[in-house]
Amino acid sequence: MRAALEDTLSILGQEVPLGRVDRELKKLWDSDEAKTRASLMNFAIYSEDAAALPRNNRLLEELTSEHACRAMLILFQPDGPAPRARAWINALCRPYEGKKIVCSEQLSFVLEGGNAAQVQNIVFAHLDSDLPLVVWWQGDLTSNFEERFYSEIDRLFIDSAEWTHPAAEFAMLEDACNGATSEFEVHDLSWTRSHFLRSALAGCFQDAVALRRLPHIAQIEITHAPGQKVAALLLAAWIAERLGLRLDDAAKEVRFSKRDGGSVSLVLAEGLAGCCVQRLALTGPDLRAEVAREPRCAFVRVCTSCDGHAREEMLPADVESEAELISSQLSRAHGTSIFIDMVPLLRRMLAKA
Amino acid sequence: MPELENPFQDTQMQQHRAQPCTLVIFGATGDLTHRKLIPALYNIAVSGDLPPQFKVVGFARREKTDEVFRAELCEANAKHSRQGHNEQMWGSFAQSIHYHRSEFEDVDGYRALAGLLDAFDKERGTVANRLFYLASAPEYFDQIMEQLRKAGLNNGIGDRWARVVCEKPFGKDLKTARHLNEVVNETFDEGDTYRIDHYLGKETAQNIMVLRFANSLFEPNWNSRYIDHVQITCAENLGMEGGRGGYYDTAGALRDMVQNHLFQLLTLVAMEPPTDLSADSVRDEKVKVIRALRRLTGPEAVGQNVVRAQYTAGSVDGVPRVGYRQEERVNPESRTECYVALRLFVDTWRWQGVPFYIRVGKQLPKKATEISVHFKKPPQVPFATSVMIPDSENTLVIRIQPDEGISLRILCKQPGQALFVQPVKMDFHYSNSFGKASPEAYERLLLDAMAGDATLFARRDEVENAWRFIDEIEKAWHESPSPPPMCEYPAGSWGPKAADEMLARDGREWRRL
Repeated sequence: MRAALEDTLSILGQEVPLGRVDRELKKLWDSDEAKTRASLMNFAIYSEDAAALPRNNRLLEELTSEHACRAMLILFQPDGPAPRARAWINALCRPYEGKKIVCSEQLSFVLEGGNAAQVQNIVFAHLDSDLPLVVWWQGDLTSNFEERFYSEIDRLFIDSAEWTHPAAEFAMLEDACNGATSEFEVHDLSWTRSHFLRSALAGCFQDAVALRRLPHIAQIEITHAPGQKVAALLLAAWIAERLGLRLDDAAKEVRFSKRDGGSVSLVLAEGLAGCCVQRLALTGPDLRAEVAREPRCAFVRVCTSCDGHAREEMLPADVESEAELISSQLSRAHGTSIFIDMVPLLRRMLAKA
Repeated sequence: MPELENPFQDTQMQQHRAQPCTLVIFGATGDLTHRKLIPALYNIAVSGDLPPQFKVVGFARREKTDEVFRAELCEANAKHSRQGHNEQMWGSFAQSIHYHRSEFEDVDGYRALAGLLDAFDKERGTVANRLFYLASAPEYFDQIMEQLRKAGLNNGIGDRWARVVCEKPFGKDLKTARHLNEVVNETFDEGDTYRIDHYLGKETAQNIMVLRFANSLFEPNWNSRYIDHVQITCAENLGMEGGRGGYYDTAGALRDMVQNHLFQLLTLVAMEPPTDLSADSVRDEKVKVIRALRRLTGPEAVGQNVVRAQYTAGSVDGVPRVGYRQEERVNPESRTECYVALRLFVDTWRWQGVPFYIRVGKQLPKKATEISVHFKKPPQVPFATSVMIPDSENTLVIRIQPDEGISLRILCKQPGQALFVQPVKMDFHYSNSFGKASPEAYERLLLDAMAGDATLFARRDEVENAWRFIDEIEKAWHESPSPPPMCEYPAGSWGPKAADEMLARDGREWRRL
């Protein structure tokens, strides 16, 4: 394992002594006057999976083509022998209109056998001052995800689809968000993956007739890819919250009750591998609003039928690659609490699903 | 029955919510529709921001079917779309495009249009909002408005709205602008009238307010106590290519560019902070700036504060260029200016005594639209008399196009034993920091019109006050017995000497671009 990791480290650029990162970065920029350095934020990927290193390295390259940043790649290996830290520097460049080259800088760290304090120190020591800190925490929220670390974060990316125990991880996340010093905003890629699908669903109810039928829906149907059940539940939680539905605690399965006493059932189906959510339908008397996506299609087909009229249109589908997901989320306005407000309901749903 | 709120919408939309509507474009076979409007709508669709059940109806005089119209637009979109052209997406978007043939003055054509719109409503199962876009030549505005009124299309049905978007030029003087305003306002309320100025849709123009009012660094210094003068330059390195001389020769730089685009930039720089960001709060402050412009009455005042010129033969980028009067479709004895420089004063407490120098011209060395704010020089007290301080002040530059961005020139000590001071430039480029391309101005403006946000559109009083100011200059040029001279400059130079001399009289010079 260590030998395999050693082989891949060369992709990280130029290895430098940990204490000389800043000096070596300066040299890197001074050596090429044609390059322009740009930075809007500190963007750090934290991972404990050595096999993910090449993928994360590629991802930073893609991401910086749209979002200039000081990129940090942190690989933490808790089971390493003696505590040891190594550092690499690199310039991630893109041409601009054939005239100049715009670059972000990448700092990579491999930390072995250390602890949370070591991770924090490495990150804090190498931040580009005055710029926000965005962290993509990959995999489970381990013991290194602790207050002194997350209290410095401005935006946190996670992917709950990767979590081993989603219910426990969401509980930990909720605690972190409620911490006295926490001010970070959470972006779950499982939630981001359905952004355009949710927009498409919202579009169905711009139709006044369909909107009038909406309170009468009886069923929510969601087909998701294998391993993307949390994404489907998040979507259902969002629909329930927006419609003012309550989770029926008495029911064994996930079922919602309406204020008028009616109920709304949730039908989850596992589809083929591919896009995260493949079909979403809200159905009720004389109403069917469906958003569906064919495999490898860049658009979703939206069909709304109610009161004897039907319409169909195509709208953009969600991006799928992690780099595109992060990039599109970074481009959107932020500052909303919609996601984190859904977490309590989601946790109750997870207990049933 | 009260309008229900779509519970899913507010969590999704982070920008203006375009409301479901049908867009009717008058003059749909023209260049604007092909080059700008349809590619903008397509790109809005690609971004997923087009409202559901959206329809476009092209209204024009030539005979053609929906299919032919769509095919023509498809070809244009493939050439001009910012985000490329996807056949599948176009196929879906094109289904919303329809063509309606009619003469502009034929009321029956409008009644048939009303029938078509009703049929769309039936198909949808609900009545849609209606947005009319006047992309035709302005001489048809009267007829179009009259017929829309006669056909009853100017009023929204129930709680649905009907709005009109007017393209520039909005008049050629105060009289014609007033007439157009009266015609338009007889048909649509002022609140439903959107006079487009695509400069306001540009990212950097919108950023002027953010720069000023979201950064505490600038606003405390944004006044006559700290600012020496302001320059606004709009330079073009082209002449009358593409047969543009025909129109341009009837308008000139002052009417074509200053009355609208440059005055819009001027107002954004000089306005007071609005009480809120509603359309009328912002536009109220902009109108106050135009009204506070010191009038240039009579040929003497105009001669001292305005320079007009035509280019003579020269070369740009090494390519020989003919003089203005030798251009295709330009009157060989033309008295139309293709360069104008103005020295303006905004007579408000904030700007007392601060000149605003504006220049716009064709066949200049490069294409650039920039605003530069020149701060006053410091008293130099802390430095010994022997220290050389370069004759340059702090300058904040807002680049509108191309290479959108902001730079700030400051003075720094040059490294070394001696105290040498040098100007250095801190530079922010949108393209470096934000790899993603900005939306086209028309995308933003069309979405705003569909969402009912008129902030980036000119209001009637704004337009009329601007014309009132411009008319006095035009009068001095064309009606005075002793008009100020028409100067000349070789194509490829930075304009006539008289423009340099106008600033030199104030002890200033044009900023080097």
